[in-house]
Amino acid sequence: MKNKITTIVLVLLATFITLGGTTSCKSKKRLAKEAAEAEYKAKVAEAVRDLTAILDDETPWTLEEKIHRVQTIKDWNLQNAEVDDLLFQVEKKLARERAQAEQEAEEARRIQEAQLQAQQPRNVLETNFSRIASASNTTQANSIINETLKLFASNNVPVLIIISQAGGFNDYDRPTTIENYLNYVKDQKVSRNKVNELKFNDDGKITEVELIKK
Amino acid sequence: MKKILAILAIVLFAGTAMAQDNLDFERKQAIDSLALEKVRDLSKYIKIVGSKETAWSEANRVIDRAEELFMINAEIGVSSINSTNIKYYKVRPYFEHLMRLNYDRVEIEWYNIEYVSDLQRQPDGTYVGVITIFQTFRGYDKEGNLAYKDTTKKDITVYVKRKETQIGGRMIGFWDVLLGDMRVKETANK
Amino acid sequence: MRRKKIEVRSKKTEDGRQKTRFTVFLFLLLLLGVDAGSVVAQNIGNYRMDETHLYAMTKQMGQFIRRFNYEEDQFGNQINPKDPAYRNRKKRQQSLAILFDQETYGNQPDLQRFFIEDVTSDDSTFMTFLGGRWYSEVSATFQYKGKDVSLIMILGIEKEGLGSKWVLNNIYFSEFNKLFPKGEITEKEKHFLHPMSHELDFMNIYKIFKEPEIIEYYASKNFQPDYLTLFFYEIKRGNLIFKNVDSVKFHVFQIKDWYFEVSWFNRSGNNAGWLISNLIYLPEKDKKDLINFYEP
Repeated sequence: MKNKITTIVLVLLATFITLGGTTSCKSKKRLAKEAAEAEYKAKVAEAVRDLTAILDDETPWTLEEKIHRVQTIKDWNLQNAEVDDLLFQVEKKLARERAQAEQEAEEARRIQEAQLQAQQPRNVLETNFSRIASASNTTQANSIINETLKLFASNNVPVLIIISQAGGFNDYDRPTTIENYLNYVKDQKVSRNKVNELKFNDDGKITEVELIKK
Repeated sequence: MKKILAILAIVLFAGTAMAQDNLDFERKQAIDSLALEKVRDLSKYIKIVGSKETAWSEANRVIDRAEELFMINAEIGVSSINSTNIKYYKVRPYFEHLMRLNYDRVEIEWYNIEYVSDLQRQPDGTYVGVITIFQTFRGYDKEGNLAYKDTTKKDITVYVKRKETQIGGRMIGFWDVLLGDMRVKETANK
Repeated sequence: MRRKKIEVRSKKTEDGRQKTRFTVFLFLLLLLGVDAGSVVAQNIGNYRMDETHLYAMTKQMGQFIRRFNYEEDQFGNQINPKDPAYRNRKKRQQSLAILFDQETYGNQPDLQRFFIEDVTSDDSTFMTFLGGRWYSEVSATFQYKGKDVSLIMILGIEKEGLGSKWVLNNIYFSEFNKLFPKGEITEKEKHFLHPMSHELDFMNIYKIFKEPEIIEYYASKNFQPDYLTLFFYEIKRGNLIFKNVDSVKFHVFQIKDWYFEVSWFNRSGNNAGWLISNLIYLPEKDKKDLINFYEP
């Protein structure tokens, strides 16, 4: 008896479920289709809007953001002629922009590198001036001098020393050579000048030194 | 290297540079300091050469550098307090004399006083000045006793000339400072 | 010929006076900003070197001029002409006394004060290197005909080319002066070639060469012996040979109505170097004859 009742209930339940399910499934599919169409249309519209904006340079985005955006649009795979056309144009534009940006970055890197290059010998030079001045003996001073001379195109690289910039122009001491100057620092045991400007050759060796009174 | 040496070879257009005339106070001061620096360099060299701890070869190298500070034919005139007689030395013999002094230990010190005269122009336009410095000398014998001491006033002639040279394709106007005759006079201060 | 020097150098041993002078001098140093204590001292090796006296010393004649005009501060640093301290009248009034030899002028404070008041008055007078009317007197030893002799050379600054130079203006040498003694007028009047000598082909002229020591009596009244020419002549003949310079001093006529002499005092203490050793009130109109010796 108990089993019978259970069966009946189950059959009824199943019937209900089946009947009810059939009717709602039909309307949902329609709704889904409509929604998909709407979404597609919206995406196309969004894609057209963004791509046009990118083309017309009317976005606040960086190049990276634009590239990211274009990739997203491509991933949507909208298969829309207008979008495809815009994508083609935008990609071409962005490729151009990227090339330009890379060129600029390269330029900036080169400048920075040059500055670093200039900065580094400058620091080494000034440090070595002090090291020579404070060397505890001649042997030590001479070894620092030899080490320092390696930064230069030759031992006879000219050294200019600005003694004054009063009146808007440079007054110099008698020019000397780097070798003489380094020995002078050794003898006098004092480094009275700092580096004002250095010039390099293509091998990165110093070809001219301009010092200025500290 | 030859090229650089050639560039360094000084092209002289002395006396023509317009920057030479009517030096204002600041520029004059800069030139005074430059001249003073040369005198300080000389003081250092005298100390190195006078020191008994300086190796012979090192002393000779320093004498070379000291000689470069002076004009050719510059002389050093030395007199003691008791005599007006001046003993004249050329630069190199003066330093060699200093190197050979017969003391076991020598102390050479400079007072902080340095007096720089006005720069006057001589007829050829070169500026001439005199820098006065004071030195104490003490010589000790083997037993470490003070054998001799004096304080000397040193009046050093300084010649300053405006010159030009070409470096790296451009003209550089510079002040050529050379030391001239030096008067060494013993003072009453011990 | 040579100006008679007025030397006021009495030896003073009186303690009280010495003390007063020292106090006055300390006060001057303080005014100058030179601390007579140990501010300017330097430790060197085992020694403490007191530099006060070296700051105080007038180390160069150029420094004398700068101090005279107040163009440098008490430490010898030059004052920028744009600075109000430059040639400041008050500071000059206070500092000028340091340029006097106190052994002489500590004893004659009135003359010193009068001078300072005068040069720092409304129309202040300054001394300049190229201002003329200041001379160097160089006493030197020469050998004259085999014997050591003392001779004085007077030099002056002369502008030339782009700058200036010291030139020989005159010589004082007793041997030269002896050659041209100031003769008695009555004696001079006895010696002349009478005005009709020409008619006799100057047959009488031989007489004037018989007394070479008074040959100049026969010259024009405008005749002045030129000692510099004599000097050059003797040098060229090899009769005078330079040996050495003994001393140097300066004679300054540049300051209106005053003459002073600047000498080198090589002594310890705070009153040393180039100092005024002789000061005379000398109105401009009276200077001419004196200057004539220094710049004939």
